[in-house]
Amino acid sequence: MDSSDLPRRPELRNLIIRNRKRTILGFDPQQIIKYFFGANASTAVIVLVLIMIFLVREGVDFLPTNRHELQTYRQAGLEFCDLVDRPLREHQTLSSSLRQCVSAALEPIVKDARERRNAAFLLKTQAEEKAARQREALENALEREPPPAEDQLAALRKDLQTAAAAASQALIYPSLFTAEETALFKAQLAALSPELTDLPPFIQALSAEFMTQDRAAREKYADLVTAQEEFDEAPDDLHELVDELKEQALGAKQSVEESHALAVNRQQLLEAAETTADPDEKASLIKEAEASVGEEVDLTALTKELTARTGELQTQIAAYVESAEKAAASLPDDVGTPDAAALLQKAKKGLPAHVQDMREAATALESWRVDKPVSMLRVIGAFFFGTEWITNSSWQDFFGFVPLLTGSVVIALIAVFIATPISVIAAIYTNQFATDREKELIKPVIEFIQAIPSVVLGFIGISLVGDLIKEFSEVSWLQWIPGFPIQERLNMFNAGCLLAFMAVPTMFSLSEDALNNVPRGYIDASDALGATKLQTVFRVIVPAGISGILSAVLLGLGRVIGETMVVLLVAGNRIAIPDFSAGPGVVFQPAHTLTGIIAQELGEVSRGSSHWQALFMVGIVLFTISLLVNWCARAVARRFESQKA
Amino acid sequence: MDFCYGASRALEDISLDVPYHRVTALIGPSGCGKSTLLRCINRMNDRVPGARVTRGQVRVKGKNIHDADVDLTQLRKQVGMVFQKSNPFAKSIYDNVAYGLRIHGEKNKAVLDEAVERALRHSALWDELKDRLGASALALSGGQQQRLCIARAIATLPDVLLMDEPCSALDPISTLKIEELMSQLAREFTVIIVTHNMQQAVRVSDFTAFLHLGKIIEFGPTEDIFTNPREKLTEDYLRGIFS
Ligand SMILES: Nc1ncnc2c1ncn2[C@@H]1O[C@H](COP(=O)(O)OP(=O)(O)OP(=O)(O)O)[C@@H](O)[C@H]1O
Ligand SMILES: [Mg+2]
Repeated sequence: MDSSDLPRRPELRNLIIRNRKRTILGFDPQQIIKYFFGANASTAVIVLVLIMIFLVREGVDFLPTNRHELQTYRQAGLEFCDLVDRPLREHQTLSSSLRQCVSAALEPIVKDARERRNAAFLLKTQAEEKAARQREALENALEREPPPAEDQLAALRKDLQTAAAAASQALIYPSLFTAEETALFKAQLAALSPELTDLPPFIQALSAEFMTQDRAAREKYADLVTAQEEFDEAPDDLHELVDELKEQALGAKQSVEESHALAVNRQQLLEAAETTADPDEKASLIKEAEASVGEEVDLTALTKELTARTGELQTQIAAYVESAEKAAASLPDDVGTPDAAALLQKAKKGLPAHVQDMREAATALESWRVDKPVSMLRVIGAFFFGTEWITNSSWQDFFGFVPLLTGSVVIALIAVFIATPISVIAAIYTNQFATDREKELIKPVIEFIQAIPSVVLGFIGISLVGDLIKEFSEVSWLQWIPGFPIQERLNMFNAGCLLAFMAVPTMFSLSEDALNNVPRGYIDASDALGATKLQTVFRVIVPAGISGILSAVLLGLGRVIGETMVVLLVAGNRIAIPDFSAGPGVVFQPAHTLTGIIAQELGEVSRGSSHWQALFMVGIVLFTISLLVNWCARAVARRFESQKA
Repeated sequence: MDFCYGASRALEDISLDVPYHRVTALIGPSGCGKSTLLRCINRMNDRVPGARVTRGQVRVKGKNIHDADVDLTQLRKQVGMVFQKSNPFAKSIYDNVAYGLRIHGEKNKAVLDEAVERALRHSALWDELKDRLGASALALSGGQQQRLCIARAIATLPDVLLMDEPCSALDPISTLKIEELMSQLAREFTVIIVTHNMQQAVRVSDFTAFLHLGKIIEFGPTEDIFTNPREKLTEDYLRGIFS
């Protein structure tokens, strides 16, 4: 081609454009547009940083505040009391499993007698109900002053008799009773009347029978029964002493808090006085401030009173330990039913540890020092590794974050565990096997899930999923599943299921994208080598898309960790570390979560209190976790990108 | 044979006898149906909706490949293919080469090892790569990747090897290596290669077919076609009057 054919470029054009260039308020319009877009993009970054700063500003004060609180907890002697009180609480669980063990052991012996007695009582009530009207009429007549005529009473009695007879005939008598017994009881029920003060003789006989059986059973397991009773009563004296000390400590704590509040008030008044110009007001403020002085609390004297009783406490502990050990030693080995045996084993296993704890408590009392300062490290540890989240307590608040974290983590894991296979398989199907029409149906439907308000899902969790799980857990052939039958309808599994549902759209869409991004050439190559569709999918496409799928799963996890409404409504909100000794059945326990606790409590606490600050600390941790999860997802996805290039 | 993509006819009246254990080159202007013809031979067009052979048959070793009793995976095992753009899997070199055998059910490590070594030797990669068989195939150079794809295609010992512009994305040195390979390969395989590079066709092929607008204009020994083409169209094309 000849170069003269090329359209000629007008050389002057550049110059003209330059001349036309205008400025707005001294700025080049190009620059303004650039800044406009730049500003919009950076707003997101700035907001993120601001959120972080805000959270940290509210949250970091938690550490000094809580440190002060823990200091008071120590100085007022509450900690001293807890040294004994905490291990003593184990007694309750042990005692209750022993009690259950006793009833489980007695059960097979007394079961028949009890059931017969209860059935008889039930029948009596039913018979009385059926003849209630006549009965009432007679009762009223009898109470009337002056008493009605004898023939009137006789008529009423007759009425009642016929009604009672009819009722006793109409009742259904269970097969617990023999034919003769039924006949006998029927007659007695027909004769029921308000004028009889005694129970029908048949019922009396049955009660007596039950009592005998019960006595016999208790006799048979006398060892167990006495051991249980002894163990139950063992800590009574110790309890009394500890309660007394606790009351003292609490009093000390309150007076410390009061004087602290007064001091703060005084400080504020003085500051206000400094700033006012008006001399009158200044004088009055100063006067008020001077009045705002609490009496000096002599904590050392108060806690001395507590520590002075260390010896007494130790003797009591020793006494308790001795009787607990004695009770433990006298526990029998054989308790009949397997249920009872299991409970007994549990108690037997727990007892030595409990005794050990009590002994340690006794020595710990001696080494406890009231004036030992609370280190910052301990405060941090108390938050991050604390196993108790106790608020609004009349004794002492603790902000330990482990129970919330475990709740959140377990729920998130359940959700990811359920959602991952579903979304990935759905994505593989949609991407590789579905016809175009199926694709058109599946994709929008799954993506629509995202539009469901989470509070609606919460409803579903409470009203539907909870009941479903509970019903399933009672089906007899499903009893092999750990944790079945479940106690609570609202539990971590329920919340996990709903969160899984919420995570599916994210995971599905991103996984599908990842599969879509698998280079065409891989599929060609695999096909050309004679691979079947399934082989191509599982040996080439899925491995090539695995990083993308992984990143999808992580982003789904991020979504799940931050979700609030569903867990608040459905997770059961019990603030305790789930009992992992239940194995996989742990998922059917209720729990509370990081997000749920903030939503639930933030509205109710006073601004700036330690509780408020603790919630902000939880917020910081939550924020950090979310950032980390998202960062991981990005890192994985980046690896995927670089691999493809 | 006729071949249609839906309503549009891409190939018309194709009749071609590809000689056994020779290199046959398909040449022709862009869009004339070379790739389509090639893809007919291993039925790669099957997954394109509406694409089908409308008249005539494709026979490999005398067997009509559209017969009901033909197993597609077996067919493709016998008819290997190398693509224009090298496309090794994001797996190790070893796994890439062994892939074809594995999907056909070979699990014996010794057999796999031997087949991988043979295939890599055949594609002149063995000496370069024998120490890093576990390395990712994506870390190889473009030329090595393409040779790896050839190794992958021949590892299953196909009878026919189809190559669609295997060198178009490569530098001259790599191209040379692959061309050298091709004459080697012809000893064991029947090779069909699509190329836009006339010199290459001359250098590597024994026979050449010239396609234009879905028809075979001329087919014969390469020397004949390039030295004295019978058709005017062929001559014009070879001279570069149209492209
Ligand atoms: N998947 C398809 N669906 C419909 N038509 C197609 C498809 N693939 C190719 N065609 C058409 O078939 C004809 C032949 O295409 P083909 O790819 O075989 O050409 P080619 O000779 O390989 O060209 P090139 O040298 O550019 O690779 C073209 O007209 C193209 O538009
Ligand atoms: Mg082509």
